[in-house]
Amino acid sequence: MRARVIGEADVLRLVDLLRQDRQVIAPFCGRGRDSYFDVVTDVNRDRIRLHVPNPLYPPKRYVLPHIERLMRMRRSAAGLWNFQPDYAETPLALFGVRSCDVAGVRHLDRFYLGREYVDAYYERRRRNLFVVNMVCTDPEVDIDDNCFCVCADTGPAARDAFDLQLMDLGGGEYLAVAGTAAGEDLFSAPFFRPATAAHVERRRAILTEVRGRFRSTTSWFAATVRYISRGDVLDKTWEEIGNRCLECGACTFVCPACTCFTVSDRRTGKEEYERVRMWDSCALKGFTRMAGGFNPRRAVHDRRNRRFFRKLAHYFIQRELSMACVGCGRCAAVCHGDVGMPSVVEMIRRATAIAAPPLDESSTVPSAKVTA
Amino acid sequence: MSSTENIYLPKVVQLDRVVDEIHEVRTFVWHFEDPADQAAFKKFRPGQFAQVSIFGAGEFPASLPPSPTENEMFFTIRTVGGCTAALHRLQPGDRFAVRGPYGNGFPMDDYAGKNLVFVAGGIGLIPLRSCIVYALAHRERYERIQIYYGAKTPRELMYLPNLRAWEQAAGIECQLTVDRASDGWTGNVGVVGSLFKRPGVHVPVENTVAFVCGPPVMFRFVIRDLLDMGFREDQIMSTLERYMKCGVGKCGHCCIGVAYVCVDGPVFTYEQIKKLGEDI
Repeated sequence: MRARVIGEADVLRLVDLLRQDRQVIAPFCGRGRDSYFDVVTDVNRDRIRLHVPNPLYPPKRYVLPHIERLMRMRRSAAGLWNFQPDYAETPLALFGVRSCDVAGVRHLDRFYLGREYVDAYYERRRRNLFVVNMVCTDPEVDIDDNCFCVCADTGPAARDAFDLQLMDLGGGEYLAVAGTAAGEDLFSAPFFRPATAAHVERRRAILTEVRGRFRSTTSWFAATVRYISRGDVLDKTWEEIGNRCLECGACTFVCPACTCFTVSDRRTGKEEYERVRMWDSCALKGFTRMAGGFNPRRAVHDRRNRRFFRKLAHYFIQRELSMACVGCGRCAAVCHGDVGMPSVVEMIRRATAIAAPPLDESSTVPSAKVTA
Repeated sequence: MSSTENIYLPKVVQLDRVVDEIHEVRTFVWHFEDPADQAAFKKFRPGQFAQVSIFGAGEFPASLPPSPTENEMFFTIRTVGGCTAALHRLQPGDRFAVRGPYGNGFPMDDYAGKNLVFVAGGIGLIPLRSCIVYALAHRERYERIQIYYGAKTPRELMYLPNLRAWEQAAGIECQLTVDRASDGWTGNVGVVGSLFKRPGVHVPVENTVAFVCGPPVMFRFVIRDLLDMGFREDQIMSTLERYMKCGVGKCGHCCIGVAYVCVDGPVFTYEQIKKLGEDI
């Protein structure tokens, strides 16, 4: 089995081991509830937090930066134009990311690396990335009222897309599970001890206990996925959702599974430009506005409709093998109009259940024929 | 480690000449600096599009009006925003950059043995020009070929030399109309749909593919006319335009319904367009 046990003090040794050949990003706590990801240095390494309130700014930016230069475009003295792509090739480790964010990276992998075109910028960042997943086990700190990974089937323990997974077993012991060969290579370090059957049993017991500690937030996706995919959701429901949207774009910017970007050129010198891409948001009115002013998406509820359709429609789930929602709860935490994912799922489910036509014959379970 | 090809890197092209088409619309004839790029690009299909970069202004998607059977590459562009205005300011000899071709294009080979009916309004002729020239270059593959084209005024008829040639050519039926006659116009006056009712005009419905492209109002009325004639929704083809940043299914701007217009389109049947659920 690819599992080992390390002591509490060994966790920092593991960080230092990773720092030998790569930059390490880890979660830290600020004042109050504030938490954030930052580069680990000699100065701050002692303040790395393994149990931490969910940082609102997701670690997505280490594979898809907020703003990223795609290329420089320069004209040489001889008059020839030259494009110099700007790739980030720095080896990076994301240390202590929660399972929802690991699922977010996995979703981005399928989106940016799947289908007919591969995004060369994402691909280079991703192949230089080492992911250390930290399982959420502390119901007081790790899990808050907005968390619903259990409903999105992404947590509290990630099943894949990590190189190494750590789990606090209590009593100063951490279980380390390798998800890739690169993760397993670390086990040659002397502080990894073999895991026993008792450790694995404790893992199972903790996960069962933690699953029961998720509080008020639940998100019953199944019915909503069906309603959205079949087009059963009433216009009135979308309008209600739209009426509550303040069009700030926050939900998209904190979402680990949102992928949209815009591209802009800016002058950096005489006959020298750079092309940058930055996150964009379908909540914003200008997102679909074409040159000349025509905008195919008119009202705000039209744009909300698109966002949730894109995230939950069966067609896209089949294409990317997962919903574009990982249950992190960030959209619910930042939305002033309370139309984050869990609320929207509930609004749709309630309103549509009453109005929806009965299931068509092909999708019902055939009942036994009653003969006289 | 193998390196993935960078889909966002454009190739430098040189502007050869500029042709005034109609008010605010010009055709820009260009070629790739590297002949190998030109050869690779020329494998495009009618209905595909390209991403055009103007240095310092940005990048925009543009239809490909030439047919792959033609030698010259060109775009026909109306000035509507910053990038297109920057293109209009370029002089012959200036450089810009192109990447592509992208999108599905019209499956012209699947239409072998069918009648082709092209219905265009205004600058909607730009993307359909590729199909028309392609179909005429392979005339023997298709049955009847009909072109119905309308513009607001005679001065706003696109590709006038092509139109005149198509009107004269044997084996195709080409009918023109304008909303308002002027400049000694002696042809039909009325919307595009009025051409279908002219004496002697017969649009075959059986075994026919209709290509419709034009402004939203024209599109709605022509669709209604075709459906009234008995066309099925999947016999009517069109091509959509959307705000796009990448052209390759990543940036998300052109995502409507279950489709990314850039990779799943821009060519759709009317049946598909109706289901996508957005304004045309």
